[in-house]
Amino acid sequence: MTQQDESLDVKADANRIASGLPSPDDQLAAIPVREERSWPPGEMGRRSAMKLMAASTLLAVGAPGCRRKPHRKIVSMVDPPEYQQPGIPVFYASTWNEGTVPYGVRVKSVDGRPIKIEGLPDHPVNRGASSAQMQASILSLYDPERLQGPRKGKQDVSWSQVDHEVIAALKAANRIVLVTRSLLGPSERAIVERLLKACPAASHFVYEPIHDGTRRTAWKSIYGRDGELQPQLDKARIILAIGSDFLGTDGPDLESTRRFATTRCLDGQGKAVEVLSRLYVVESAMTVTGSNADHRLPLRPSAMRGFALALVSAVKGEFGSLDRFAAEHHLDKRLLRAMAGDLASHKGKSVVLAGPHLPTAVHAAVALLNGEIGAMGKTLRWEPRPAALPVSRVAAIEQAIRDEGGADVVCWLGVNPAYDWPGGGLAELLKSVKFTIGYGQYHNETLDACTFALPDTHFLESWNDAIGPSGLSTLCQPVIAPLFKSRQQAESLLVWSKALAPEDKELADCKDWHDFVQGRWRRDLFAADSSWPGMWNAALRTGMVQAGDSKAGESVQLDLDAATRLAAWDDRSTQGDSATGDRLEVLIRPHYALADGRFASNAWLQEMPDPVSKLVWGGGVMVGPETADRLGISTDSLVRVNRSDDGPSVVLPVLVQPGVAAGVLVVTLGHGRTRAGDVGTGVGVNVAPLIGKQGDSSSAFVSVGVSVQVVPKGPPDRSSRLVRTQKTFSMMDRPIVLQGTASEYDENPAFVKTRKHVPPLEQIDAEYDYTQGPKWVMAIDQNACTGCSGCVIACQAENNISVVGKDQCARGREMHWMRIDRYEEGSSGNPTVYQQPMLCQQCDNAPCESVCPVNATSHSMEGLNEQVYNRCVGTRYCANNCPYKVRRFNFLDYRGEAMRDAVRQLVYNPQVTVRSRGVMEKCTFCIQRINAAKFHAKNAGEKIADGMVQPACAESCPAQAIVFGDLNDPDSEVSKMHASSLAYFVLEELNVRPNVAYLARVTNPHPEVTPHSESGHSVSSHSKGGHS
Amino acid sequence: MSEQSAALTPPPLVTGSVSVRQLDNAINGPLESFPTMRWWIAISVTGTLAAWFFYCFTYTALVGIGSWGNNNPVGWGWAITNFVFWIGIGHAGTLISAILFLLRQRWRTGIARFAEAMTIFAVICALQFPLIHTGRPWLAWYWLLPLPNANNIWVNFRSPLMWDVVAVSTYGLVSAMFWYTGLLPDLATARYRATNGLRKFVYGLLSLGWNGSNRSWSHYEKAYLLFAGLSTPLVLSVHSVVSFDFAVSVIPGWHTTIFPPYFVAGAIFSGFAMVATLIILLRKAFHLEHIITRDHLEAMNRIIIATSLMVGYAYLTEFFIAWYSGAAYERFTFINRATGPYAWAYWTMVSCNVLVPQLLWFKRIRRSPLLMYPIVILVNVGMWFERFVIVVSSLAGDYLPANWDYFRPTWIDIGLFVGSIGLFLTLVLLFCRFLPTVALAETKALLPGSQAGGGHHD
Repeated sequence: MTQQDESLDVKADANRIASGLPSPDDQLAAIPVREERSWPPGEMGRRSAMKLMAASTLLAVGAPGCRRKPHRKIVSMVDPPEYQQPGIPVFYASTWNEGTVPYGVRVKSVDGRPIKIEGLPDHPVNRGASSAQMQASILSLYDPERLQGPRKGKQDVSWSQVDHEVIAALKAANRIVLVTRSLLGPSERAIVERLLKACPAASHFVYEPIHDGTRRTAWKSIYGRDGELQPQLDKARIILAIGSDFLGTDGPDLESTRRFATTRCLDGQGKAVEVLSRLYVVESAMTVTGSNADHRLPLRPSAMRGFALALVSAVKGEFGSLDRFAAEHHLDKRLLRAMAGDLASHKGKSVVLAGPHLPTAVHAAVALLNGEIGAMGKTLRWEPRPAALPVSRVAAIEQAIRDEGGADVVCWLGVNPAYDWPGGGLAELLKSVKFTIGYGQYHNETLDACTFALPDTHFLESWNDAIGPSGLSTLCQPVIAPLFKSRQQAESLLVWSKALAPEDKELADCKDWHDFVQGRWRRDLFAADSSWPGMWNAALRTGMVQAGDSKAGESVQLDLDAATRLAAWDDRSTQGDSATGDRLEVLIRPHYALADGRFASNAWLQEMPDPVSKLVWGGGVMVGPETADRLGISTDSLVRVNRSDDGPSVVLPVLVQPGVAAGVLVVTLGHGRTRAGDVGTGVGVNVAPLIGKQGDSSSAFVSVGVSVQVVPKGPPDRSSRLVRTQKTFSMMDRPIVLQGTASEYDENPAFVKTRKHVPPLEQIDAEYDYTQGPKWVMAIDQNACTGCSGCVIACQAENNISVVGKDQCARGREMHWMRIDRYEEGSSGNPTVYQQPMLCQQCDNAPCESVCPVNATSHSMEGLNEQVYNRCVGTRYCANNCPYKVRRFNFLDYRGEAMRDAVRQLVYNPQVTVRSRGVMEKCTFCIQRINAAKFHAKNAGEKIADGMVQPACAESCPAQAIVFGDLNDPDSEVSKMHASSLAYFVLEELNVRPNVAYLARVTNPHPEVTPHSESGHSVSSHSKGGHS
Repeated sequence: MSEQSAALTPPPLVTGSVSVRQLDNAINGPLESFPTMRWWIAISVTGTLAAWFFYCFTYTALVGIGSWGNNNPVGWGWAITNFVFWIGIGHAGTLISAILFLLRQRWRTGIARFAEAMTIFAVICALQFPLIHTGRPWLAWYWLLPLPNANNIWVNFRSPLMWDVVAVSTYGLVSAMFWYTGLLPDLATARYRATNGLRKFVYGLLSLGWNGSNRSWSHYEKAYLLFAGLSTPLVLSVHSVVSFDFAVSVIPGWHTTIFPPYFVAGAIFSGFAMVATLIILLRKAFHLEHIITRDHLEAMNRIIIATSLMVGYAYLTEFFIAWYSGAAYERFTFINRATGPYAWAYWTMVSCNVLVPQLLWFKRIRRSPLLMYPIVILVNVGMWFERFVIVVSSLAGDYLPANWDYFRPTWIDIGLFVGSIGLFLTLVLLFCRFLPTVALAETKALLPGSQAGGGHHD
């Protein structure tokens, strides 16, 4: 029996979670034991008081005996470390590695319980920002639906039995196939290599359902070595994205968003037309990036190569092919010429990015373009050490498993091919292998089919590391002991490797995975450093270390011939005769919240409105209005999409999404999980059968010539029902999101004032004097905000906001305090998109306050609109009278199960009340953070410095679009924003005196091209919002 | 000249020659006989509906407002619609008993008692909704009252809901007392006629020792006059205050100064329609055609058509002001009402409240219980829709289009509304069995020869 086996069943008795940190010699080891009481509900009578006393005596005597023994020595909390105070949060630096890009995180831990994940401020990639997925991973930590212990078939087994059987199988096998994700951790890669060495029969494959395989391949052949091009968008004036959703799903979105945002903000210096960047987006789907474009051009994926090639020659000065292309595709010639002209005239200050779903030929053409405009080394940086391993070819994996009698052992490590295997139909292949090992945090489709289903740890329970840019190494450290009987995947690989290679001295020295990581760091990163373990401790504290030789600034040479040859390669499967436009193309994209489906068990992410479609809990096939008309379908129709005539097909509900290119069907992977716990199972439809198997140069995510049949609607089906949190996308000619162009701004920086009429606003009663203390206000820069929706989840995590589920969302009862409103104006084929974060405006003349009959909502002396949950009786009059409709009502007992579940309730922020049924709630500007800062400042005898208080939304924002602070401090950033000539208040004409200033959007269209005259048929009579 | 004066002479309020005894028998008879099968059938239907109401009420209290169709923009749905509807229904009673009394409209006598009883029952139905519509009714029932408490938190008198609490409770109490005062001599009659000891005891207790003396009568007359005076402003104030719930808000479609008179007119309109709906059945069932005559019905129909025109005028004015004010949000709200997702409700309202009542210009229809019946039913329907249109369509599409949503009721919503009708009718049926449905003492005063000056009364 290993030590883990002695642990109690945590689900049954998680009230006493002893969070012992498996920690070594360093000082950061101790985290206090948490003693959570389960209080008897209701009144405390004499009898229950006696019972409780008896029980606590028992606990006091017996509990230490039943506590799990930490498997390494732990510092006793009898003598707690001085920084550990009850109720005072402690922050740990770590690395989030559950997505496709590693980001630095700062984990907030209260009483040994991590409760919030924030961006690590010093991390060079995300710089304190955090994405929705990072924020939401805290919910998965406390998810009792995670696999709680190793299982063989339907049976719970012990880890020793697992090790015994697995090692025996590995020893006996003739062929072993290891399939992993594109491991972000170098130590993980090292242990896989060790295992391969110890086990010559094994071969390793990297599998990701959504990947940038074609791009990596193209780059390798063009630039001569493996690596990655990273855009330096802050240095770019002209950005052209060809199918690249760099602000959303393509690459390090948090970094790209930050860099891009710096080029979109006006600080009053210089002329806007010279300062602002100009973003051209040519894309097939409607994406977050496309929503932020100055000029957007919908184009089918198969036309992208022709477009890129035409652009190459146009940049060189020959416009013939570009004009021909424009004519063929009915595009605005002037726009294309303007684009080419802009690129050519901004050499070294422009960049072209291509989406990972495009075939190699497009990447080659884009490489030629970037070469032509001098982007390399200026706006593009070569990273020789990409964070992720390149993917293997799916056919190769299939071959390794199937051929020559088949593999004896297949290990599916962290992957879920039974769900997302291209083309579907992995089941048979899975079954054909006698001994399969599935590793994952959740019991998923693949683990279901495996001999052994092994639980991996959450990243907050794990030791790990990752690669940052320019030789940076980041560390992932556990902040809580594994809640369940899970064992980190790498730890298992270590145990197995040790057993298979007893002669390996280095492995034998490693008592556990922590030792291995530490050993590797010492060996690889600190070889020359004498300050060990000081450096290690510094890494634990800061989460990262700059070590080894930094290869920053390394440049690569474009192989012109190779690129030209590759660009000329015409892939028949995706190329086709695109111009005729009759054939339908399908494009498969990752989901904004659920990625490739790996986060489908996370309820916060399921309920996060898609930034583009505002869909929650499921998705469908998105088509443009033109295509919908042609196919005779509309939103909520059901269609069967066939990849090829005899190929697999899926039945999907239709969503008519303005902006999707004509002839294109866009589907997102991530839904339709059949084994993803109560949360993710049966939500939406799985589109994996539509993914192709990637060839050398063709893309797996685009296929041309798909057929579509309308399926008669049967009885209402919960999984394929479309639910959107927003129904009206027109601004109805109302001055809600105000916008102007750069040249308008240069003519009149206060152009906003002309955009709407605000009558003189008078006050009946005396003005309240807010100058005695701070006056908390917010400013939102609509130029920086991309609509990514990370703040929505950050707010949810911070403020214990309930999840309501699909049916309640369909009833319009989502609880988010922060939402992103989206408006689409102009032609429905290619609309102009406006996005606006909307939260409580903390009005000084709050209409909600005067109508509450019981005084449950009132104004603070610091200008906050406060909600007293205890006093609220739920008349909902306040919500009715709120012009912004940002108040949220607990129509049912939404906290319900989560509140009662011993594990789930641990996710709650102890500083925020969990609201009961029948109570109104709303944004409080994170008053718990304001108060914490006030207490701190008072104890320290200081004033609250600007930036010391950050609401969760502002803290997470990668674009720093949300700024919070004291209006009474004239030097605060928020005061300056409030004073900006672009500042206005939404609905200020109602005299509610809102306290959230919005900075009007300033776009930078090409002066010779009117925005969005280029394509699409105008069906909307609303030409442009923002005029009164 | 004599022809003219004959035309100006009001028709007799009690037709035929009726003796005091016959009148006693006609009114008190139903109280003293065993209920008919028709009554049992009726009350079993309405009682079932009332039970359904209490089931839905309990369900809502246990599960939450989530069992209704309300959503994020539409915080108030059917519950508030029903509340305003029932409060409006109550208005006819007070108007008839108070204002018409003060104006010496003697024709009110035949229908006053019934209309007053209806007021009480309608207020009872109405009061169910503000309580159950709160998120936490177990706290709301006393937190909404200005009671001293240990938390030192006072209610918010700036909130129109607070005004509602005061206005509606005052209205309910005054109406109940007024009604009860009017009942006293009739309860005494019932006591005198009672043969059964229990009946004698109960009616005796209820009649507060009425002995028919001059003192009794003079106190009674004074009290009645005082209550009439007290109730008169309430007729105008209650629905004005209810309309403040909407008018004081910032929501386009709610924020309108026309609301107080518009709501009062609508309330009287709906109240009279409801009185007519029930009294037509009553006079038929209890053979009171000679006491509640066609003249009564015609008088009510005249009020219905007058208030219908007022309501129609209010609809037009709302549109005119929405256009004339230049307030873009308000303009949209009204255009949206007539053409948007709730257009069906809006046009139902307009047809039932403005178009259909125009048929009452025809005297034949006005005087025919059969022909006017569908009209008054439709007026009831239309007035419910008026409140629905105001409450729901304004909330469903206010300032920021991103918030807009559509309201769909659930079976609990439907249960509460239909059930409240059941509750109301159950109370009416019980009233018919246990209390005199016509103000007996007052009617006796109208009998030919009972007044000095012959059958004439001014």
